Formats: sequence, structure tokens, C-alpha cells
Amino acid sequence: MQEKKIAALLGIMCFMLTVGICVQMRTVTSTASRMGRTYAENELRDSVLKWKEKYDLAYDNLETKEAKLDKLRETASTSSEASENVKAGLEQNNMALGFTEVIGSGITITLKDAEVATNKLDLSSSLVHYSDLIEVINALKNAGAEAVSVNGERIVNVTAITCAGNIIKINNEKVGVPFVINAIGSSEKLYGALTMHGGYIDKLKEDGVTVEIEKKDTITIPKYNGVYKFEYAKVVE
Amino acid sequence: MIYISIIIGCILGAIIGMNTPVISYTYSSYLAIAIIAALDTVFGGITSVIKKNFDLKIFLSGFFGNAILSIALTYLGERLNVDIYLAAVVVFVGRMFTNLAIIRRYYVDKWTNKFAELSSKNKK
Repeated sequence: MQEKKIAALLGIMCFMLTVGICVQMRTVTSTASRMGRTYAENELRDSVLKWKEKYDLAYDNLETKEAKLDKLRETASTSSEASENVKAGLEQNNMALGFTEVIGSGITITLKDAEVATNKLDLSSSLVHYSDLIEVINALKNAGAEAVSVNGERIVNVTAITCAGNIIKINNEKVGVPFVINAIGSSEKLYGALTMHGGYIDKLKEDGVTVEIEKKDTITIPKYNGVYKFEYAKVVE
Repeated sequence: MIYISIIIGCILGAIIGMNTPVISYTYSSYLAIAIIAALDTVFGGITSVIKKNFDLKIFLSGFFGNAILSIALTYLGERLNVDIYLAAVVVFVGRMFTNLAIIRRYYVDKWTNKFAELSSKNKK
């Protein structure tokens, strides 16, 4: 009797055990691909972090080199009156090329997609497109803006603003809504030029795009991070 | 008798286990450690049957108690970010080997005695 009881009990235990083992095995086999994916994901994340670190390091390096170069230029140009002019010219050129951070009065324009599309027939018109940015920047330049940036990307003479699906690429960097356009110049002039009746901002507002314009006394615009390459253009002798 | 019931239990369990739904991956680590604990208890039970000191209460409490405790430890380890379940696995598998060694010795002795008897009978 005792023997039978033990046997039955062990049988039940083994039954439960095998059910558990089978369920577990099937769970593991069905999720093996997912495990693989998370592994690959971790690897990718790892390499992204590593590259970012490398980039930061290279950027730091660049900054120290630039500082060194500036110092060298300073020492080279302080020696004489003539080189003083060269230094001033150099600074001027660097500012024009967008190689220096600049500060001054100006305006900040924020463009956002419409929360409710006013024109149901053409939903696209209630979004901010790259062409809208180009128009606004053009209007700003026309009104005498000295430096312009969009979401921290300096607009220089080689800047391209292109459409890349649901985002916009400026200087090959991705930028997205909301677009914050900073412009340095006479804030009165810039403001007046933009809010002119029948102007481009009016059109954007009609389409439902949220536009905020703010006059500011101090605006800082970052420098251009790219390089100018001249492969084909040569100076005429 | 005991082994027949174990085999029947295993076969039935395999058939049922193949047809039950799969549990979510989050809980599979808990199930795994519970399986190891239960496996250890079953080997312990067989050993105690051989030693003839099988106690139903101890066996049952060990089966469920070990499983629940190991699941709780795994959960705690996950919260604390320490792989406590590794300690449970080491203990359980170590015990399993001890029990298996006892079972093996028992049967090796049994079979050696049997063969010795048989050969002595044949010589006569």
C-alpha cells in the first residue's frame, strides 16, 4: 500500500515536471529569435556609443587645435600694424563664413505644424515644409539678417535645405518640428519685413501653421560645423 | 513499480506539455528555476525510497517549498540585479549529483551481488 502510494506520488510529480520542462523548452525555442535580436540590438547600441565617444573626442581635439591656431594667428599678427589689419580682415571673413559664434539683437521665429488642419482638402499645407523654411530665411536675408540658424544649424552660403521624408535636412543634419529660426539683425526691420501684410508668414498662418515671432536683445547663433571644399573652383591668376 | 509510474508520468507529461500554450518569456526564467528545484526533489525522493526513509510530508513540502523559494530568490535577484538563481542552480544540481551517485551505487551493488550469486550457482 505504502509502495503504491509512493509510486503514484512520484508519477504525479514526474508528470508535473515534464509538463513544466516541455512548456519551458517550447517557450525558449519560440523566443530564441527574439533573444538573438536583443543581442544584436545591444551590439549596435554599443557600437553607436563607441562611435559617439570617438566623435566627441575628435571634436574636442578639433576645438583645441582651433584654439591653438587662433593663438598662433594672434601672435603672428600682433607684430606689426599691417598684420593688425590682416587679423581684423581674417576675423571679418571668419564671421562671414560662419566659422565663429555670433551674438547680437534679432528675432526668433518658431514654426510648428498646425494642431488642427484648417484646410481639410489639402492636409499637407498645414505642415511646415522645407520650402517654407527657405522662404522665411530668404525673407530674413532680404531684410538684412546677418546670421541665421535653424534649430542650431547655421545657415551659410553652402547650406542646403532639403526634404527627407518626414524630417528636413539642413547641412546634412536632421532637424524636425518645431523649427526655431534665429536671425541676428535689426529686430525692428526683421520683424516688420516678416509680418508685412501679404507676406509669407501671413500665408503660413492662413494655412494653419503655428507661427511665433519674438524680438530679442541677445541671440547667440552657433558656428558652422562643416568645412568648405574647393575641388573645382580655382582663383583666377 | 516506482519506475513504471515515473515513466508513465513522464510520457503523459510530455504529451500534455506539448499541447499547452506557451508562457510569456518574462516568466520563463522563473519556470526554469522551479523545474530545477522540482527535479532535485524528485531525485531526492527516489534516493529516500532506496534508503527506505521516504516521508510523504517532507517530500511534498520539499517539492513545493523548494520551487517557490527558488522562484522568490530569482525574483529578488532580478530586483537587486544579482544573479541569485545561479546559487540556486549550483545547490540543486550539486544535490542532484549526490542523489544520483547514491542511486547509482545502490544499483551497481545490487547487480554485482546478483551476478556473483549467478556465477556461484553456475559453478556448482
